[in-house]
Amino acid sequence: MVNLEDLKMEAKRILDEGRVKYIIGYQRGTNGVMSVPAFIKKPEDVEKLIWDPTCIYNLTRFLVDEKRRKARQKEPDQRPVGIIAKGCDTRAIVVLLQEEFIKREDVFVFGISCENTGVLDEKKIAEKVQGKKVKKVEFGENKNFIITTENGSIDVSAKEVLAERCLECKANYPVIGDISFGEKVASGLTQPFLSLEKMESLSGEERWRFWEQQFNKCIRCYACRSVCPMCYCEECVVDTINFAVTADTSAEEKAQKIKWVEKSPVTSENFIYHLVRAMHLAGRCIDCGECERVCPVEIPLRFLNKKLEKEAKELFDYDVGFDPEKPSLVSCFKDEDPEDFIR
Amino acid sequence: MAEEFEPKIVAFLCKWCSSAGSDLAGVSRMKYPPNVVPITVMCSGSVSPLYILSAFKEGADGVLVSGCHPGDCHYIKGNYYARRRIALVKKLLEYIGLEPQRFQMSWVSAAEGKKYTQIIEDFVNQLKPLGSQTKLRRNV
Repeated sequence: MVNLEDLKMEAKRILDEGRVKYIIGYQRGTNGVMSVPAFIKKPEDVEKLIWDPTCIYNLTRFLVDEKRRKARQKEPDQRPVGIIAKGCDTRAIVVLLQEEFIKREDVFVFGISCENTGVLDEKKIAEKVQGKKVKKVEFGENKNFIITTENGSIDVSAKEVLAERCLECKANYPVIGDISFGEKVASGLTQPFLSLEKMESLSGEERWRFWEQQFNKCIRCYACRSVCPMCYCEECVVDTINFAVTADTSAEEKAQKIKWVEKSPVTSENFIYHLVRAMHLAGRCIDCGECERVCPVEIPLRFLNKKLEKEAKELFDYDVGFDPEKPSLVSCFKDEDPEDFIR
Repeated sequence: MAEEFEPKIVAFLCKWCSSAGSDLAGVSRMKYPPNVVPITVMCSGSVSPLYILSAFKEGADGVLVSGCHPGDCHYIKGNYYARRRIALVKKLLEYIGLEPQRFQMSWVSAAEGKKYTQIIEDFVNQLKPLGSQTKLRRNV
């Protein structure tokens, strides 16, 4: 079991020593049981930190924001940023390190092992307690969660309320970490891509109808892009931010600016946006499931990204986010890469 | 009598090999279907997935990416990168339900005019029964 007091103590020590600028962690939210991100700057504030199954967010995105903020400062604080990271989150950090987007010395990782369970799914919990107000969710001793509601507590097997991604987690322990908490427990997972099988067994036409229906719903709010730690392009292909239209801009200049995707949320444009995003995440998506969680119209984006993760594994034997020294999937090749589809 | 469906193919051809291959087919007066719109690119490795998706969006019935044989790349390794990336694009397009025949890749050297005409002929024959591509076509 991860001892929260140990975590607080270490966090306090690191802050006291002034080794980090601040620590990004989880604290109790003001609305209900769920946690919210916490930014701990003062050593006395470490008491706010929590660790329980409601710590579902991938905080790595804040490292991307931090880098941008630092680039704008005249005399930035060069100390690293502390971050509390679960197994999946540390893999996101590995991908960012792989791409040299952040440097190892810019981040201080407090790795936390999920130890055979994981974090919960808000919707599944809501279904479980059937309208009762949840007060607390804790890790149990034996792969279970203890949910405390206003009418007493219930003991639920972790499998029933775990987030979908946690059920298919390949590494529930931190792969990098300056300080690690909890034990490294093998997940015993034999079929990491089981959820895809149902989709893959459908015929082409059925798959098309499914995805057409899904992408038809998309309202192009770009929440998936905003929450994704890997979506850090300065200019996204769907917006043309660095093309300033002024009074002097000629019609010809406007016409010649390539517009790959229209802004209107119609099916064909939504397809291009989501497929391009999926391609950009190939070999980079660590399956944190944040895009799917934040989607207001519930598009199962995990199924899209997971598919390319599967192909990366099957075609190129590439595991995402384990080794910061390795080149990323599409920036390397092997002589024996499959070419049976090429004439 | 209704006219037979003629598919429109967008072909991204590498400047150093496939494009010259298609030229060779032309100057040798080989006969092949006129359904293909060739776009010369500097390397098959420079073909972004966005080009392919955009071609489908603008109404292409099929897309072909053609580059140099492994080991023959003018830029030493561009076609190896292309091979990896295009494999993923192909899997993704199949996964969302586009007919797999609509997107193909080939290796055509500058000397293989004959092979190029054969590839286009086969491609057109495969696309004819599928009819017009409407799935990814722009609807705005």
